[in-house]
Amino acid sequence: MGSSNLRPRTAMAIWARLGFVILLLFFSATLSTALYEDQVGLADWHHKYIGKVKHAVFHTQKTGRKRVVVSTEENVVASLDLRTGFIFWRNVLGKNDHIDQVDIALGKYVVTLSSGGSILRAWNLPDGQMIWESTLPVSTPSKSSLYVLANMNVGKDNLILVFGGSSIHALSSMDGQIVWRKELSIDSLEIQQIFQPHDSDIINAVGFVGSSEFAVYQISYRTGEVMQQSKASFESGFCGEASLVFDNLVVALDASKSSLVSISFKNEVINFHQINLSDLVPDFSGKVTLLPLKFNGMLAIEIASSVLLLRVKGPNELEFVEKISHPFAVSDALPLSKEQQAFAILQHDESKIHFKVKSDNDLRNEILQETIQMDSQRGNIEKVFINNYIRTDRTHGFRFLVVMEDHSLLLIQQGEIVWSREDGLASIVDSTTSELPVEKEGVSVAEVEHNLFEWLKGHLLKLKGTLMLASPDEVAAIQAIRLKSSEKNKMTRDHNGFRKLIIVLTRAGKVLALHTGDGRVVWSVLLPALRRSETCGNPFALRVYQWQVPHHHAMHENPSVLVVGRCGHGFDAPGIFSIVDSYTGKVQNSLILEHSVSHIMPLPLTDSTEQRLHLIIDAKLQAHLYPKNSDSLKHFFNEMPNIYWYSVEIEKNKIRGYSLESKAEPDTAEEYVFQAKELWSIVFPSESEKIAVTATRKKNEIVHTQAKVVADQDVMYKYISKNILFVATVAPKAAGEIGSATPEDALLYAYLIDTVSGRILHRVCHQGAQGPVHAVVSENWVVYHYFNLRAHRYEMSVIEIYDQSRADNKDVWKLVLGKHNLTAPVSLYSRPDVMVKSQSYFFTHSVKSMAVTATAKGITSKQLLIGTIGDQVLALDKRFLDPRRSVNPTQSEKEEGIIPLSDSLPIVPQSYITHSLQVEGLRSMVTIPAKLESTTLIFSYGVDLFFTRIAPSRTYDSLTEDFSYALLLITIVALVAAIFVTWALSEKKELKEKWR
Amino acid sequence: MVRSNLGQDSFRFDSTGLGLVTRAIERERGDFGTRIELKRTRRVAAQHLLIRPRAAVKRSAASLVVIVSSMKLALLLFLVLVSNFLPSSLAAPSSSGDGYTITGRVKVEGMTSKGFGVSSKLLNAKIILNGGQSVTFVRADGYFTFHNVPAGTHLIEVAALGYFFSPVRVDISARFPGKIQAALTENRKALHELILEPLREEQYYEIREPFSIMSFLKSPMGLMMGFMLLVIFVMPKLVENMDPEEIRRAQEEMRTNFLPRSS
Repeated sequence: MGSSNLRPRTAMAIWARLGFVILLLFFSATLSTALYEDQVGLADWHHKYIGKVKHAVFHTQKTGRKRVVVSTEENVVASLDLRTGFIFWRNVLGKNDHIDQVDIALGKYVVTLSSGGSILRAWNLPDGQMIWESTLPVSTPSKSSLYVLANMNVGKDNLILVFGGSSIHALSSMDGQIVWRKELSIDSLEIQQIFQPHDSDIINAVGFVGSSEFAVYQISYRTGEVMQQSKASFESGFCGEASLVFDNLVVALDASKSSLVSISFKNEVINFHQINLSDLVPDFSGKVTLLPLKFNGMLAIEIASSVLLLRVKGPNELEFVEKISHPFAVSDALPLSKEQQAFAILQHDESKIHFKVKSDNDLRNEILQETIQMDSQRGNIEKVFINNYIRTDRTHGFRFLVVMEDHSLLLIQQGEIVWSREDGLASIVDSTTSELPVEKEGVSVAEVEHNLFEWLKGHLLKLKGTLMLASPDEVAAIQAIRLKSSEKNKMTRDHNGFRKLIIVLTRAGKVLALHTGDGRVVWSVLLPALRRSETCGNPFALRVYQWQVPHHHAMHENPSVLVVGRCGHGFDAPGIFSIVDSYTGKVQNSLILEHSVSHIMPLPLTDSTEQRLHLIIDAKLQAHLYPKNSDSLKHFFNEMPNIYWYSVEIEKNKIRGYSLESKAEPDTAEEYVFQAKELWSIVFPSESEKIAVTATRKKNEIVHTQAKVVADQDVMYKYISKNILFVATVAPKAAGEIGSATPEDALLYAYLIDTVSGRILHRVCHQGAQGPVHAVVSENWVVYHYFNLRAHRYEMSVIEIYDQSRADNKDVWKLVLGKHNLTAPVSLYSRPDVMVKSQSYFFTHSVKSMAVTATAKGITSKQLLIGTIGDQVLALDKRFLDPRRSVNPTQSEKEEGIIPLSDSLPIVPQSYITHSLQVEGLRSMVTIPAKLESTTLIFSYGVDLFFTRIAPSRTYDSLTEDFSYALLLITIVALVAAIFVTWALSEKKELKEKWR
Repeated sequence: MVRSNLGQDSFRFDSTGLGLVTRAIERERGDFGTRIELKRTRRVAAQHLLIRPRAAVKRSAASLVVIVSSMKLALLLFLVLVSNFLPSSLAAPSSSGDGYTITGRVKVEGMTSKGFGVSSKLLNAKIILNGGQSVTFVRADGYFTFHNVPAGTHLIEVAALGYFFSPVRVDISARFPGKIQAALTENRKALHELILEPLREEQYYEIREPFSIMSFLKSPMGLMMGFMLLVIFVMPKLVENMDPEEIRRAQEEMRTNFLPRSS
């Protein structure tokens, strides 16, 4: 192009041009990186989870599929196969729709009560389809419960009772219609229990009115009419806990929580008996807690650190049965026959769990006693649900569904773990990655390709697949070959950097390492520091960081990760620190900090043992340096003047910037503590603005080039700063959800702030826009997603910042002659000369989370990852969000790759990286650059986990997995053959010509 | 009392569903009639508002309708609607306590003609109000309901794998609780009934094209071969057609260009 040859064009030039065009044709393929259906599972994996189980109901009566219906803390209602633990179906409810209770009605519907007792839904047991949904008017949020009545032979319809506060709703289990509704009292009645005496048309409801009155109601089953009611008051009052022991006896705790009161009621007569606990427990003192144990004639109370099982013989007669010490779990009662009930006690003893099943016929002895060995990384037992089956010899066998401390779910039968589910992975808090160890010498890779014939056969099959000539059997064979190729599941580092360990921290305080090849758990550890203990009552996992990444020459050392937690939910609670080996999961170091943790800053510095320096900022704005050694301090002092940080105080509507200063004397413990020095603060007017979201660039993002060559060979310099903070504020009136504000009230301001100087680089106002705002910052641009109330559609805006002060440094001659301004002094106080371009587009869906792809060197073009409300992840090319898009781009702009402007962003179904899968409850997407520049690994998590790798500009630097070597061979062979044929032909022709 | 009587009227189930709607509008008018009697000061405003439902009746009997009634009535009405499996869908926001009720229906082509079966793909379709404020599921007959929705402008989204649904803007008027409007936000098409149909089916996978000569020729290998063949067969022809003088000049040019560099 550069040559200024004025010669007439020769044929050669035309050919060169043609070749160039053909080359262009290759590379200007589609924007999306789509997947063929037979490539599913090749580079991606998807694991389904449900979360920590709260309630479980077994369904084993009928022959056929045996299942257990569970509801979890992740608002999932699911039906699991009792034999394997696989999910038959599951439904994830809305994020505020917490499930209160689950039950089975009519033997075919799963009934869930959620949202504080206000929504009752029925799901079809075989397939999870919603059958009906009912909303109950609940005036005050109170603890609500569900009670499915046994069949009363009233037609075929059973009633479902929902009670909470002072009201009872009876709904038909067929269609969810409210049959009757009863408000029992206008006083502050709290219904404790509802029960139905055998074979009667009457329901009894017992509860407390205020703190000292006990009330009993008898209600007609059919109409909800109150047949009988009685109240009595007890002078020392109640604390609100009660346990129903018999149909006419309730045991409650008194107001001081130190003694039991048995309440017997019969025919409107209520009698109280105070029971002295010291008769039962000689050295009793302190407080008592009543444990919910739905068991006839039994009572469980917790005193200090042990639990007492008591048998109630009469209104004032209690018998001591057994004392259980922590940790333990007790199941609800399970009816074995009409007269007999059974319940299970599980007790933890080091690494063993003892199972005991007792029946009410004989409390002294056990029906069943088993002991199993339990993995210590699962922690203690939290819950147990039991179910029975009839053995061939007509005795009762029992199954135990156990929920462990790490949220895993296990089914135990006959002293063995039948299956287990690692459901802690449904609540990942944070994640990081670690490289795998380098392949050791002597380990041969050649074993994979057995012989040439097998290899060729495999490739021929693949060729058939690509040419659409394969039969379904062959397609299956191809799939199997691809999945079997164990290459991706090896435990060593690979050349392309696709194999890594993803280290995740779950809410239960468990750290797990997942292999990127298939998502299997390589190791897991329940951090002792994040377990409930005497010193730390309510631990809470926060973040996980890379702590030590050994350099290439120190390969004998294992990398390690740092887990930071907090004791309790307050900001001033002391912090927890744990260092875990990335390859083995061994806890190397663990401590409870003396200070709190409000902000963690990994610094771009390492000490001589390659431990990364971390600054922990506590609630008192003191910065603590870790690791605490003189070497790290030395490194840190060199960099200290360059360390700036900021804090966002959403409640105060304030952003403040700080630097650090040291006040302590050397060689003291205070040496590692630094004081924050406030440099600047930005206060948003609270009457008109409220901080909605902040976003910064990823600390480890790599930018390949500062300059952007635009059409007509002009250059624009990107304003690249690690210290750019994007802040979006919304009008307080429109801070709520969509539908709560009018366009006139709504305003959204977007700010770009330099966090070192506190200078606002750019500010833009969107009229009639409101949150929720999601934003992502990368290189020199910000993309944010918000709701436009005027158009009533979601919008995405892009802001790009360019450095104008360097805009003149384009001329080479100026640089050569020294007439450039590169040496001009740069000052904090000088106003940066920036140019801002922005544009907005409509976007169809609500967004749950946004991220941007990152590659090893930042050369590959970027894609935005958008987690949509449908729990899918969409990869959208950044070229669609380019403020230089116009309706009619010029020829040169077209060549540059600028897409003509459209009012909305296109959603191409093929660019969903989750293809036909959903990452239920999607919360976050993490991008991990691979070693191969074109490729990035994406790990998205929510209730489910999904991992894949994508190439935003296609894999330009390597052959794709489905590259057909056989086709290449055939082509070469054909070409060689053609050469010989043409050679022979030309020989012949020459010969003929010579003869002529 | 006018209110409840008329409300009872509208329960008489009409096989077409349209009758129900018109009657409900009449009832509404009745309702406003009573209001005018009670509040003479607001008469003018009320008359203004009156025009709207009438026009709506003229335009389309099956337009969106709001039924104002006491809480019990609304619930009962809803239950009647549900239990009878109304053949035609309607959005019936009705005020109850602290909000309205939105009922709609998701309809996907290929459903059984009787209208009760939902294709297996729709089994887990979620209906999302205002970007996650509340989430409900589609029932077996395709209906869904949101309760206690306050007046205002809302957004309903359908998340169903395999289909692309446009979000729907639903306006519930606060001033005049007899008016509701719904429109697809993607193409601004107004909906007379809250029947949500997918705009298109989504194909998440690239479709492998069947083997054809063209696709082979378009592949890099095919292009390479084609290019080579062209060079082999067409180039000599082009060279032949050229002026021998020009060839000589070009050769000379090349010599002068490359020789100094190689030396």
